[in-house]
Amino acid sequence: MKKKALLRAAAVVAMVCGLVWNAMAEEGVSDTEIHIGQWGPQTGPAAAWGSVARGTDAYFKMINAEGGINGRKLIHHMFDDAYNPAKTKAGVKELQEGTGMFAWVSGVGTAPGLAVRDYLMERQIPWIGPSSGSLHWIDPASKYLFPIYPLYYIEAKALVRHAVKDLGLKQVAIAYQNDDYGKNGVQGAKAELAQHGLQVVAEVPVEVKDTDMKPHVMQLRKSDADTVLLWVSPVHAVKIVGTSKAMNFTPQWMSTSTCSDFPLMMHISKGLWEGVIAATFAELPDADHPLLQKYQKDAYGKFAAKDERWGLFYYAGILFAEPLVEAIRRCGQDLTRERVVSELEGLKNFRGIGGEISYGPLDTAKAYETRQGMKEVFLVKCLKDGKAEKLSDWMAIQYP
Amino acid sequence: MLDFLQMLVSGVAVGSSYALVGLAMVIIYKTSEVPNFAQGEMALISSFFTFMLLEQCGFPYYAAFPLALLFAVLLGFFLEFTVLRRAKDPNILGMIAITIGIEMILLGLVSWKFGADPKTLPFPISPYDSIALGEVFISALEALTVGVALVIMLILFIFFRFSKLGVAMKATQQNDTAARLMGIRTNRILMFTWGVSSLVGCVAGLLISPITMQPYMMWDPLLKGFAAAVMGGMTSLPGAVLGAYLLGIIENLFGGYVSIEFKSVVAFAIIVLVLCIKPSGLFARHYVKKV
Amino acid sequence: MSFFKVCNLSISFGGLAALNDVSFEVQKGQIFAIIGPNGAGKTTLFNCINGIYTPDEGEVFFKDQKINGLRPDRIARLGIARTFQNIELFNHMNTMENLMLGRHLHMKSNLFRGVGMWGPHSFAGQEEIAHRRKVEEIIDFLGLQSARNQPVGGLPYGTQKQIELGRALASEPEFLLLDEPCAGMNAEEKQDMIFWIKDIQDELGITILLIEHDMNMVMDISDHILAINFGGMITEGTPSDVQKHPEVLKAYLGEEDGEGSA
Repeated sequence: MKKKALLRAAAVVAMVCGLVWNAMAEEGVSDTEIHIGQWGPQTGPAAAWGSVARGTDAYFKMINAEGGINGRKLIHHMFDDAYNPAKTKAGVKELQEGTGMFAWVSGVGTAPGLAVRDYLMERQIPWIGPSSGSLHWIDPASKYLFPIYPLYYIEAKALVRHAVKDLGLKQVAIAYQNDDYGKNGVQGAKAELAQHGLQVVAEVPVEVKDTDMKPHVMQLRKSDADTVLLWVSPVHAVKIVGTSKAMNFTPQWMSTSTCSDFPLMMHISKGLWEGVIAATFAELPDADHPLLQKYQKDAYGKFAAKDERWGLFYYAGILFAEPLVEAIRRCGQDLTRERVVSELEGLKNFRGIGGEISYGPLDTAKAYETRQGMKEVFLVKCLKDGKAEKLSDWMAIQYP
Repeated sequence: MLDFLQMLVSGVAVGSSYALVGLAMVIIYKTSEVPNFAQGEMALISSFFTFMLLEQCGFPYYAAFPLALLFAVLLGFFLEFTVLRRAKDPNILGMIAITIGIEMILLGLVSWKFGADPKTLPFPISPYDSIALGEVFISALEALTVGVALVIMLILFIFFRFSKLGVAMKATQQNDTAARLMGIRTNRILMFTWGVSSLVGCVAGLLISPITMQPYMMWDPLLKGFAAAVMGGMTSLPGAVLGAYLLGIIENLFGGYVSIEFKSVVAFAIIVLVLCIKPSGLFARHYVKKV
Repeated sequence: MSFFKVCNLSISFGGLAALNDVSFEVQKGQIFAIIGPNGAGKTTLFNCINGIYTPDEGEVFFKDQKINGLRPDRIARLGIARTFQNIELFNHMNTMENLMLGRHLHMKSNLFRGVGMWGPHSFAGQEEIAHRRKVEEIIDFLGLQSARNQPVGGLPYGTQKQIELGRALASEPEFLLLDEPCAGMNAEEKQDMIFWIKDIQDELGITILLIEHDMNMVMDISDHILAINFGGMITEGTPSDVQKHPEVLKAYLGEEDGEGSA
């Protein structure tokens, strides 16, 4: 018995010492380095989103080239999880328990993110800017999780609002990927339509594995929709628009930020994407925006691989990391996780290359206000040459 | 009624691409009893090769497509000669494992060389122009696919039935030892089989690619083509094509009248059902597995 | 020139010697029989001759050409045909198709010419007619008319053995290896088979190497006999010589054993 009690005491002492030691030198931080982790699919079915992590990487390299933050360099640890949640979890654990990350940034995908959220939150490790607009990140809200990506929900609201109010369209249908991403879109669209006393005329689920879109298009066509929201992957979106054209069905197409990389969409749709309206959350690639141009010159221009494209998702990788960099900067020499969290909570109307980002001290009753970073989007229309026409200014939208 | 007709036509249209992949699998299965799971990725790499010729090297269509087919044939020869033939004491299970290995290597190669961004293959026919048969629509590309699938099936059928090589292939499948004693070079037959199969697969890939191409584009057609081939009894060319059309039609009808969510699962339900009820396939005449 | 010669042939499987230093010579026009109990290595010897196995040591000569190490299809093309103890037919094809495959190595039309078989006057058409005529002769010779268009897998055992013989003949061999041609046959079928084998020797002038268990038959038709056991040679000579050898007596006459068992 005595021996056991002794052991226990020793363990407690060790833990306390550990905590104290932790407080003195935070995990993943030294006088010269800050270790930051990120996963992103470089292979596998979602590898097209791999550019997010590469964008973040170039951004960090740019910062380091300019002298780092308060004398410390950002050490970026990114790994390929192939969009496989099991691999995400294994990779995060390995980096966290092996090298020790100070914080995590971005990370593509709802499912991979959900696989590691509890792990990171239990260990009180800050995670900033998951690359998906899922409701999961604020429902429930967590102290150490700071989503940025505007909710798919508000994208849907913004699009429907534009269709109904500005374009006078009333028959709205939606084709949605049968998962969290798609269903968030359906929720938003329904909520906005209800406010105008309308209902969706058709909801057509698309399975990720489906390749033949004809049955889906037939259902959409049968509903006589004049507007169709596409809450699906880019490839499915192109197939639906193309199949519809072949079947003489040409409603106003609207889509999410996921499909708002117009040069890419125009290319893979052989020009069919012209006229499609999409919501987006970052400045346009050729925008007259000094900060964006600086990134293009100093991050992309100097550190991108040769065949990398200056596309939305590449610089979204920068956008998702901007608040973390800002918070670290504001910490000064006293860089701890708690301090970063309080600096992030102090961000108000922070604007980088996307919409305004604000957080507040955690209040689970006001999760949207205190934890959802960006609450605005703007709408763009795809032009013939793959350029975008801005249809609206930033639209701030409330949830729910 | 109109909807029903449209679903039938759409089913046949989508079934045609399954049919081509199914035919490619049947050709190899007929001679070696190995379901070749690398089939999809062999078509994939040939399609991306074509993409490279057209987009990156600026070849005209009339040069790129024949070169692609040639590439596909050589690829088939190459894989048979360098990988499958080297298998020591091959058994069916080992061979299947090898094809899956090849599948992964080819997929990795394409992902590495061409990246993951979706692409589209330049093609003389727009995949989004359509032909209207009254109120029923079929895209021009689909019409072409239907035609090509039927022509290829016919050529293969005649070839297997009547040419000396076709007979030799059949003999190799039925009894490898005896075939060799008849003076048939079974090694060469197998190599030839892989070439032809790769060629047919490549045609399937080229007809899928004008819509969108990405490293994973052949998974679905492969699984569906395999399902179709199983329905047809794995050794029958017309069986695989009929199976593919049937599968396409069932999928479309199921999506239209029952549940669009579970449309993709239908194919696998059918595989299971066929294997339980009539393992020799719906259209097989007298195929009995030799012991 | 020697017609067919085996010199010091040895092969072992996993350390177990299946054939050990076997040598013999077959004269043109002979019926040469190999006898021995089950597991003596007779079928292994056949497999070494027609290329299914590659012997570890020793050499096989056919008309002074070394043939061990060649592929089975090459050996077949040199004019050596065989049948199997356990019948290796193309079960899903009919008799005609099986025999036509026997003609395979004589067909000249390749892939492209074969595709151009348009009507009876084309090259491939002419060739096809010639081959069919040859096959019809064999069908007549063996009395296989009634089985012509039936898938062979479903035919009686004896008939299948005949078809296999027919297929071997269709390739017009100079040297024919028969692996227990009478195994599993009833007395009447056996009698027929013996006639055919003799006819093949006399009328077609084909040299025959034969494995058989039925001593009466072997003594009846063979010109020369080789007895082997445990992979090694026991004795060799004319039927009357071999019959008197003590070990042969022990193996075959002392014990009631071995008809047709595999």
